[in-house]
Amino acid sequence: MKADLRGAVVPLGLLLLAEAGMRLNQVQSDALARPSEVGLALWQALLDGSLWLSSGQTLGAALAGLGLGGGLGLLLGLWFGLSRAAAQASSLSVELLRPVPSVALIPLSMLVFGFGFRMEIAVVAFTCFWPMLLLSQAAIRQVEPRLLEVARMLGFNPWDRVAKIVLPAALPRIFVAFRLSVGIALVVGVTVEIAANPQGLGYALMSAQQSLRPDLMFALLLWLGLLGWALSAGLLVLQQRWFRHSLPDAAGDRP
Amino acid sequence: MATSSAASARLALVPDVGTDERAPARAPAVIAFDNVALDFGARRVINRLSFDMHPGEVVCVIGPSGCGKTTLLRLLTGLIKPSAGQVRHHGDPVTGPARDVAIVFQDYAKALLPWRTVAGNVSLALEAAGVPKAERAERIHTLLGKVGLAQHAEKFPGQLSGGMQQRLQIARCLAQEPAVLLMDEPFGALDAMTRQTLQDEMLQLVAASGTTVLFITHDLEEAIYLGDAVLALRANPGEQSSLAQTFPVHLPRPRNQLSTREEPEFLRLRREAFDYIKETH
Repeated sequence: MKADLRGAVVPLGLLLLAEAGMRLNQVQSDALARPSEVGLALWQALLDGSLWLSSGQTLGAALAGLGLGGGLGLLLGLWFGLSRAAAQASSLSVELLRPVPSVALIPLSMLVFGFGFRMEIAVVAFTCFWPMLLLSQAAIRQVEPRLLEVARMLGFNPWDRVAKIVLPAALPRIFVAFRLSVGIALVVGVTVEIAANPQGLGYALMSAQQSLRPDLMFALLLWLGLLGWALSAGLLVLQQRWFRHSLPDAAGDRP
Repeated sequence: MATSSAASARLALVPDVGTDERAPARAPAVIAFDNVALDFGARRVINRLSFDMHPGEVVCVIGPSGCGKTTLLRLLTGLIKPSAGQVRHHGDPVTGPARDVAIVFQDYAKALLPWRTVAGNVSLALEAAGVPKAERAERIHTLLGKVGLAQHAEKFPGQLSGGMQQRLQIARCLAQEPAVLLMDEPFGALDAMTRQTLQDEMLQLVAASGTTVLFITHDLEEAIYLGDAVLALRANPGEQSSLAQTFPVHLPRPRNQLSTREEPEFLRLRREAFDYIKETH
């Protein structure tokens, strides 16, 4: 993963252009801020600890929701992947529940849990449940049939067949599903904080907006972008390290 | 290894005759196809197929695509059941995969576990056979030595050439210590030089272990070069037997890529079998 510096030319150029343009035109705005002001606001938020606190809150809630919902989705996905009967019995329920937009559950979740992290975690969990369920089910289904034949020829019992062949064969794809779900969890977590939970990065964004601090708002947006990028890049590194041999096609899947 | 004249005596009886005429005095067959028929829906893929394989024999199967060559292997593993007749393994009807029957698939890249090392892939067969962990390392080492992969034990399949991957699959099958080795066009995807090397290595390995081999191929010369007998199947048998013709191969062993292929007998068989293939295509 060699960083290509040419990719940085365009954003840096645009930032310089914005800075110069806004200085020359003496822009005074409640919605815009000069890149230098944004950088300064980011620096201050990092120094006074407020950014770390809200990042911790957002990440904590997002990962807790992912762990709960994604974990449950993974277990059910494995079950449905292995048992056609279970998959068929549940397919209608899945088809009916899955299209419910996760954000639409905020009111219900608020009724049940009130304001706070439990409500946010519940909504994130609901969201992450579906991709993990469907993608891990698909991962099991996509295990190379030849390998299953090898397992049968070798006379493995069902338990060993799953433990030695099916799960390791599906694991790379399950990890890809996890990587996707991390991104989703972060997005939904921030959304819930903007809409309902008065904590975390989403709420920080809201209060920056309401206190007419566009510099801080952009700083938070920038920070969210960096956070998402770092998570995704980190997971991609792990994916390439762990599944290098099983996912030859993952080589083209780079940020 | 059975002598080739004995092989011919057995196999000459087989085509198009009922089961009751089989030679009675032979050593028990490892594999016996007894008037086997198989339908896929309304289509009869295999009809009235009878042949025996005796210990140490190498029997090659040729035929046009769609004649049920691979289906033959599946019948032998019990993964599909014959619509009529019986497939017997050591005298007992085949009901499912047996530990002493191993398959070498053509698509070695799909048949190997990409997340396990070369040694780990061989270990899989030993784990399946319940070999204690303490004994595995040494047996893996011996097996990899036999197929010339001892230096590559810690590599992953994806890091090996096609020929080496197929050697690895063969090593994994040998780890099962099979009485019968089924090979489904195992060298079809390899380049000509690698294929010849692997043909000779395979013959040495099975001769040393006394393994009985059923070898499916679409390469006529390969079939003659490897086999004690070549069975020619026909597609869409209709009322006829699937076994169109049996060519006993009287070529001395060990075989040699140059001299064997220059023998008059080899050339005669090649012409005969080629004429047959031409007629049926």
